[in-house]
Amino acid sequence: MRRELKTFVCLGLLILISSHILAAQSKSADKKEKPAPAPLTLKVGDTAPDFTLLAFDGKELKKVSLQDYRGKKNVALAFFVFAFTGG
Amino acid sequence: MKAFQQNLTKLEGNDTQVLGVSMDSPFSNFAFAQQNGVTFPILGDWGGPVTRRYGLIQKFDIQGVPMESARRATFLIDKTGKIINEQVDDTAVDPSKTVEACERQKLKG
Repeated sequence: MRRELKTFVCLGLLILISSHILAAQSKSADKKEKPAPAPLTLKVGDTAPDFTLLAFDGKELKKVSLQDYRGKKNVALAFFVFAFTGG
Repeated sequence: MKAFQQNLTKLEGNDTQVLGVSMDSPFSNFAFAQQNGVTFPILGDWGGPVTRRYGLIQKFDIQGVPMESARRATFLIDKTGKIINEQVDDTAVDPSKTVEACERQKLKG
């Protein structure tokens, strides 16, 4: 009987502790969902990752690579978000 | 986009090529450029591999539906391939800081 009681108390404690841990975890998960504007992973001074992409000039598709401009020109690389393409 | 077009001569005058990148297809980018009088190339980052590589994909959800979109950003890259200026989110919409950085770069020679 006493042994049963002990097991019961132990189980109760375990549940209590684990629920606290779970609650703490879900709290920190909530925080992750609403971050402040995150800093960029690429910093000033870093080498810009090379890429090759296609651009259409009205007649044909052309390959454009960042490395095409190495030693020739600076590049202002502007990422745009189009909610729609008509406007 | 139009703001960059208006500053295009200033940027090009400072030895700088303007390249737009968007996650749309090259064809819809071209249609957009034509309709808005944009003359610099807008590259089609279909599926967003380059946008992702530049760390600009952000995840969010609307009513529990997960979505991904690109953050607005402008990187100024010098002739050695190094990033010398970066503008993100709201400050990237106005190209004036990129133009200023570009002019400073020219002074440095």
